[in-house]
Amino acid sequence: MNKLSSYAILFLALFSFTNCSNRISNPPLVINEVLVINEENFVDDYGRRSGWIEIFNNTAKTQDIGGYYLTNDKSDPKKYPIPKGDVLTKIAPHHHVLFWANNKPYQGTFHISFELDPDRENYIALFNESGEKMIDEVTIPNGQLADQSWGYKMDGEKYAQDGTLLLTLLDKVTPSTNNFTLDKNEKVEKFRQNDKFGASMTITSMLVVFGALILLYLVFRTSGKVSSKLKQKKGERLSISKEGVTTSSGPISGEVLTAIFMALHEDQNEIHDFENTTLTFSSVNKNYSPWNSKIYGLRELPRR
Amino acid sequence: MNDFFFFLLDNLKVFWNYTGFANVEMGHIIMILFGITFIFFAIRYEFEPLLLIPIGFGILIGNVPFDLSANLEIGIYEEGSVLNILYQGVQKGWYPPLIFLGIGAMTDFSALISNPKLILVGAACQFGIFGAYIISLQLGFAPTEAASIGIIGGADGPTAIFLTSKLAPHLLGAVAISAYSYMALIPVLQPPCMRLLTTKKERLIRMKPARMVSQSEKIIFPIAGLLLTAFLVPSGLPLLGMLFFGNLLKESGVTRRLAETARGPMIDVVTILLGLMVGVSTQATTFLTAASVRIFGLGALSFIIATCAGVLFVKFFNLFLKKDNKINPLIGNAGVSAVPGSARMSQIVGLEYDSSNHLLMHAMGPNVAGVIASAVSAGLMLGFLY
Repeated sequence: MNKLSSYAILFLALFSFTNCSNRISNPPLVINEVLVINEENFVDDYGRRSGWIEIFNNTAKTQDIGGYYLTNDKSDPKKYPIPKGDVLTKIAPHHHVLFWANNKPYQGTFHISFELDPDRENYIALFNESGEKMIDEVTIPNGQLADQSWGYKMDGEKYAQDGTLLLTLLDKVTPSTNNFTLDKNEKVEKFRQNDKFGASMTITSMLVVFGALILLYLVFRTSGKVSSKLKQKKGERLSISKEGVTTSSGPISGEVLTAIFMALHEDQNEIHDFENTTLTFSSVNKNYSPWNSKIYGLRELPRR
Repeated sequence: MNDFFFFLLDNLKVFWNYTGFANVEMGHIIMILFGITFIFFAIRYEFEPLLLIPIGFGILIGNVPFDLSANLEIGIYEEGSVLNILYQGVQKGWYPPLIFLGIGAMTDFSALISNPKLILVGAACQFGIFGAYIISLQLGFAPTEAASIGIIGGADGPTAIFLTSKLAPHLLGAVAISAYSYMALIPVLQPPCMRLLTTKKERLIRMKPARMVSQSEKIIFPIAGLLLTAFLVPSGLPLLGMLFFGNLLKESGVTRRLAETARGPMIDVVTILLGLMVGVSTQATTFLTAASVRIFGLGALSFIIATCAGVLFVKFFNLFLKKDNKINPLIGNAGVSAVPGSARMSQIVGLEYDSSNHLLMHAMGPNVAGVIASAVSAGLMLGFLY
């Protein structure tokens, strides 16, 4: 039992390492980058410049934002309803869409019904289809300079692990493209530079593989012992007859042997399914029809 | 009449340009010979015929030359072609988890549950993967390529395909062919290592018979196995999840039909498609490279390292075990996950030295542990490098 309790402590210790903290998770759709004053930056389809809002799909599935709402007013969450049925409102996994804040919604789905104000802080929020659940919000501070955008350095990464908001002035303006781009796979580069001989990979991986399998070993060693003890107890209980005489030492009868071999046979052939063996009697109703009559199906032999 | 004659001649010329004869290169001939060799070995010597015949025939299909510029959409690398659609299962890595579902539904883990210390032998054999990883790095392969080559040492075709499709898709054909070829060559590669690293006394060790495993233990195994391994290495989830799910179907006792489908028709269908598509993907133009030759060499090496690591680990482990509890080091080779080929090898070599010492059931323990361990290793490398 002492061993069992030591295993229990081991598991408790293991689970104490698990991260059950209240880490703030990033929203599925993030207002990823905002440019308030557009003087020499991105031009819309009409050849005009205006402030813009970029929304990033932070999930691994396509998200349709048709029917959602964009607003710059907390008291009016349904200020700009994003039209439904536009194929372009479907954002592919980890892709973006750009909305022009030019107060010209008649110019198309991506031209919204408000502008960004360069003289005060701008609150922007995205609401779901009911307009009741806020999906993401952002407040761009007052005093913006022309052609400078605010957003998150890593696309969709709104919060740090400790919950700090990562909104910042971005080094470069990247409308409709990733805020952070990779020239190389960073993970691979790290291994290429720091683990030229593969020793680190080997040691780490072997430790984890052994760790995982040692855990399995401990679990099944324990469960095996528990199972054996239970079997032993069950056996003891069965072997004590009403008179208190043990029967296990006596010769095994032919019937018992047959039952054992039958059970082994079933076990080896995996005949341990629980089938529904209910027998029922129900009359089968068949309406008579000359088409199913046997008489018409038989060939008559030619008469001589 | 003259015009008609020229038209006919032109037509015949166009037809000739479409034929394989007009487009054949030396590479195609070499690959076709490879394919025929695979089929020959599979039929004549019964080397993994279930795999080598689809792969061998796939090589023939993949190396029938045709005019690429005709844009007939028939080649495996032409988007939208039938072969390309079937190849998605390999490329996107969804055939291997389905194979694992079948493996789970046909594997009896009771040898492992009854003697859980044999699990550690499966872990030791993973040195083959990382040994080959180290050597591949030294030969100038990138870390992602080295990981894909190393996984051949896991002796697990689906795992090798799954990892390579993610990390180094350009090596997929070479890695898959190498993995399956060496699985077929287990009877050639493993016994010399096993004999070399063991003494006669060690080969005669008789192991205690395994205890009976209860139904409850068999049911707990896939659930606990999944939770413990996948929590540690979530990147191995597609393989581990399907493996343990398949095993629960088998052991629950109430889903017999599902288990039978998973280990019968389903795994057969996926094996056919996987084997054939791996073969087809070996088009001479993409396959016959110096890198492929090196991958073949490294693949053999990783198998040998894995076998040696397993045998040596058992010898080391025996130092800490009581006299009546020792493990026969001839089951060390079975830690590679080629089920049941490597366990069968332990049995055959064991019988050579003691005709009444049956090691098969003992070897099945490390053998199935190898399946779990190689899936964990693949998940780890995927997590580190993808």
